Amino acid sequence: MNKISADAIQQIEQLNRDYICALDALDMPAWLACFNKQGQYTFIAEENYRRNFPIAFMLDDCYERLQDRVTQVVDIQSDSTEHYQTRHFTQLTSVTVADDGRYQAEFNYSVYYTRSDTKKTQLLCVGRYIDLIDISNASASYIDRKAVTDTNVLPRYVAYPV
Amino acid sequence: MANQKNEEPLLIWPKKYNEVPKAVFEMEELWPKELKSIFYGEEWHPIVHRAEIPNPGDYKAAELGEMPIFAVHGEDGVIRVFQNTCTHRGTALVTECAGNKKEFECPYHRWLFSLEGELVGCPNSREFTPDFDKKNFGLHQLRVEGFCGLYWVTMSDKTPPLKEYLGESFYEPLSRILGGDGRLKLIGYQKVMYDCNWKAYCDNDGYHAPLLHKAFALLNWQGGKGFQKVTENGHLAFESEIKVPDQVEALKDASILDFKGTGTSSGSIVLMSFPLTVFSKHMDMLNVRYAFPKGPKGIEVHYAYFTHEDDDEEMVRHRIRQSSNLLGPCGLVSMEDASVFSRIDKGNKTPGNAVFQKGVEDEYKLSFTVKQNDESGNLPRWEHYRKIMGFKRAEQ
Ligand code: FES
Ligand SMILES: [Fe+2]
Repeated sequence: MNKISADAIQQIEQLNRDYICALDALDMPAWLACFNKQGQYTFIAEENYRRNFPIAFMLDDCYERLQDRVTQVVDIQSDSTEHYQTRHFTQLTSVTVADDGRYQAEFNYSVYYTRSDTKKTQLLCVGRYIDLIDISNASASYIDRKAVTDTNVLPRYVAYPV
Repeated sequence: MANQKNEEPLLIWPKKYNEVPKAVFEMEELWPKELKSIFYGEEWHPIVHRAEIPNPGDYKAAELGEMPIFAVHGEDGVIRVFQNTCTHRGTALVTECAGNKKEFECPYHRWLFSLEGELVGCPNSREFTPDFDKKNFGLHQLRVEGFCGLYWVTMSDKTPPLKEYLGESFYEPLSRILGGDGRLKLIGYQKVMYDCNWKAYCDNDGYHAPLLHKAFALLNWQGGKGFQKVTENGHLAFESEIKVPDQVEALKDASILDFKGTGTSSGSIVLMSFPLTVFSKHMDMLNVRYAFPKGPKGIEVHYAYFTHEDDDEEMVRHRIRQSSNLLGPCGLVSMEDASVFSRIDKGNKTPGNAVFQKGVEDEYKLSFTVKQNDESGNLPRWEHYRKIMGFKRAEQ
């Protein structure tokens, strides 16, 4: 078993912090910057994930799709959907070494949202991130981040990545 | 007359055919009557496609109105739908939304039911009533009919046969959404709760599409030729060509919008069966939206997506990518509809009527001629609703 350096864990935590801060600030370019050029992002219901159904809520399976996700949020949907403020809470639950410079990590997450019209806060979804992370040149990035949500029935439409 | 007070209608309908009282979305008192007259009345409700429960023992739980039910694929290949209740003292038999079982055992007193719904075991039955007979205690089965692998239920014996009920203008395009022959494969679900009344959810129209959906304009989608067909009992069929431009400048990966098509299928079919189920085939997405009202407020929608058994790997991949990103509660196209559902609910808490304009030629006559981008296609379903609910029109 490869021992995981404190430095690697620190980088994995930092990448996750960059990621959730980008989303809570709705800074989509900063969200995109968390992925490398092989990057993929999936937001999928736990039911589909467990039963091997590939349908996701969001399926960005190449870097161009990730770029288009930014376009969708920033340009396409902004005037017809209502904005809500998110807060992501995460906790690292496991790290393993995949191979050279690549790590698998899992985080639990819960995401609250506050509607701008009512200012009421509710739970959006709870689940776990399943990550494949590249650490090279002292910087970490996602090769793959899957947000698998236990909240199989979303309480509303979801306008931004989780 | 005081003794007629109980008979007083809950609501008087406007005299003009293009007006719907906003209160119809907000009055909680309507729900019990809607349950009785619509959900438990003479209507068919789609519950499951064979592709969702392809093997013997596979089951899927659902709701009809407020009644829990489940569909089972029997050992004999027959798909049946039962009330989700033990015939002893009523305990729910299945608690998961789907799964596979060899038989259904009630945990309370261990009565055991076969996949076909027969009572096959009940402990200590020698001490039961003298004329107890297992044969009389099978699961309560609902009337079921299948069409292209999609199974519908009704609570009434009087509901006409399914094809007659849907009419050809509806079941013909429906067969194309279901792959022509119903040989589909399930690729997954998207489930979401919308916080509006169920009737607001299914009041979407042909007028809004090019206007609300900014994505259409941004992606430079040409509105192709199209039409709507309406039936007297409120089913609506909407069909149009989709011309996706060769180049979509807004996107880096426009392959998500490819229309590979099969045969001569048009680009877009949207069907809405009364009271509230939507079926759609946009480009290469095959989608059934099972919808479950949670009382007068809130509706849970399960978007089920399919591929066809004959699809090659590339087509399967394409359908998965398209379905995951364009429709549903996060989809590039349909998220805007979702946003309207909750806003329309907020706005309807005001007095007066919602007024339909686009395509209405005579406010005092119901018309079944509807053009592609008219909103008047919704009026026959409102008229059907009004009649079933027994609301009188105001005097002219
Ligand atoms: S309630 Fe089911 S066995 Fe008694
Ligand atoms: Fe729409």
